[in-house]
Amino acid sequence: MALVLVLASALSSLWLSRWQALVACSLAVMGFNYSFVPPRGTLSVDLQADVLLLGTLLLVGGMVSVLTTRQRELLARERSHLERLEQAQAWGDALREADDPATCAPALQSLLAQITDAPASLWLAPSPGDEATEGHLWGPATAVQQEGLRHCAQAAQALGPDTGRFEQQSHTYLPLRGRARGLGAARVDLAAGPQTAPLRQHAQALCDQMGLALERAAALRSASAAREAAQVHALRNTLLAAIAHDHRTPLASILGAASSLLAQDDRLSAGQRQRLANTIVDEAAQLTRMTDNTLQLARLDSPGLVLHRDWESVEEIVGAVLARVRGRRPGRVVTVAIAPDLPLLRCDAVLMAQMLENLIDNALRHGDGTPVDIVAERRDTRVALTVGDHGPGVPPALQTRIFDLFYRAQGGRGAGVGLALCQAIARVHGGRLAYRDRPGGGALFEYTWTAEPAP
Amino acid sequence: MILTVLLVEDDRELRATLRESLALEGYRVLAAASLADARAQFAQPAHRDTIDVVLLDLGLPDGSGESFLAELRAVRPIPVIVISAHHTDDPKVRLLDAGADDYLVKPFSLPELFARVRAALRRRGTRVEPALTHYEGEGLVVDLKAHSVRLHGSSVHLTPTEFNLLARLVRHAGQVVTHRQLLADVWGAEFVEHTHYLRLYMGQLRAKLEEEPAQPRRLLTETGVGYRLVDPGG
Repeated sequence: MALVLVLASALSSLWLSRWQALVACSLAVMGFNYSFVPPRGTLSVDLQADVLLLGTLLLVGGMVSVLTTRQRELLARERSHLERLEQAQAWGDALREADDPATCAPALQSLLAQITDAPASLWLAPSPGDEATEGHLWGPATAVQQEGLRHCAQAAQALGPDTGRFEQQSHTYLPLRGRARGLGAARVDLAAGPQTAPLRQHAQALCDQMGLALERAAALRSASAAREAAQVHALRNTLLAAIAHDHRTPLASILGAASSLLAQDDRLSAGQRQRLANTIVDEAAQLTRMTDNTLQLARLDSPGLVLHRDWESVEEIVGAVLARVRGRRPGRVVTVAIAPDLPLLRCDAVLMAQMLENLIDNALRHGDGTPVDIVAERRDTRVALTVGDHGPGVPPALQTRIFDLFYRAQGGRGAGVGLALCQAIARVHGGRLAYRDRPGGGALFEYTWTAEPAP
Repeated sequence: MILTVLLVEDDRELRATLRESLALEGYRVLAAASLADARAQFAQPAHRDTIDVVLLDLGLPDGSGESFLAELRAVRPIPVIVISAHHTDDPKVRLLDAGADDYLVKPFSLPELFARVRAALRRRGTRVEPALTHYEGEGLVVDLKAHSVRLHGSSVHLTPTEFNLLARLVRHAGQVVTHRQLLADVWGAEFVEHTHYLRLYMGQLRAKLEEEPAQPRRLLTETGVGYRLVDPGG
């Protein structure tokens, strides 16, 4: 009978807390005394042996209870420790997977709320160079609490109950610590007392993971920004040098001709004067085209580009460009073959004309004086506009580079802007510009696009 | 009779060059460096009635020329030629649609400028020539009153739409006519976006009136702006 009692007290300690179990055990021993130990019906004990028995029962029952509950507590602590480890690991994985750790902030906020079983809020400091902004806040926070968050992040030290700083605060503030500085802070609801210490440590560990990730991301960002800036700087220098260099050549001709007209006026024949004046006009026109190309290229590369697309006739664009080219190179042979009934082309006519003019100029310049042929024809669902010459063509090794900005043919004049611009114009129109060797010798530039039905 | 040009251009060098060469061509030149300046010139009673053509730069320090164009037109139908600094993205087409007569893109040559001024004056029926109902140039003879079109002496048959299109260009011979103006005047105001009509009919017109339609000598394309019937006076 006494053993049943011991068993019951052991079992009860599986559910009850240590003190409850001890009280239950004492009550059970008293009940046993009352019911079974003579004289029955009273709590008094007659025999010394019974006193010993009851004492032993009480002792054994109490010990069983204490041991069982201690075991339970150890188990629970172990379990929560494991849980926290897993939580920290999962949190670390989530941070690694995120492109920008800042996007994990709401997850951290809810994680903190979950482990403390109370609302939490989180504040991320503005990134360096962006100090004018307020930073980002997740969750509720009064003005005082926001001040607390800011202070905590700045000092990179926890504050609140049991932290040694601002202990009168009702909430605990935990910094998101990086290696060098605090990148933000979290406000959690943690009571004072030794039992919350592990929980605070856990919360701080989660916050620090976030802090380190934020710091790493910021470092990566600033490194890539610096790299980009260096590239932009190098490109800009190349660009400025190339433009300036290319503009010097026509400028030299203009200055030469104009100064000759000024200084040698009385010794020049009428024919010579005319030739010099022509040089000035031609070179100025060349300079204008180069400037137009550069400006247009800059425009095409700028964000928010608006194309003035309309239905255009290929024949018209070719005609308009040819009139201009013939005007300045009257001696050169340019043949045109445009297939009848070509579909209209939806494009920005000014750009398309500029592309064609560059291609024709290019062929006239590098074609060794051979005739230039312009052909427009249908190819199944596509339309092709080609400009070809019978000159030496482009050596295979250079064919991939001719569309590069500022690549210049040997002895070539004019910026490498021309073909780069053509390529950009083709790109914004969704067409394709390619170089091909011409069967029988010569260079062939081919712009193709998908025929669209006109409305 | 001396014709007067109001030149509105803010760049001093260009203003001086244009002023001198226009004077050499026999025009009297009034110069202005800003819109305010131009308004002041125009407000003078002595100038108001004598200005025959306005050259208006669009890149002025005190605004675009749109309001000034309207003010000029409110007084008298003075021809206005706009001078623009860009090929694209600027108010030049808007001003042409609003009634400016022609345009030049910087940099331009002086013979181009003189041709534009002559064409603008002719169309307005100023003291140079009466307004155009008759066109004769490059072997093409068009008589709008008689409804006849002849090319190198032989009669050319045009459909009514083709004829209307040609007539619109003849009335402004030598001057640009914008896509929008052509569509509105030939097809109607609700068709101003139907540029493909224009391409189609212009192609047909060129097939009938040009020896080589791909290399037109009479019906010229002003890329991105409109069309121009070549100036019969050269």
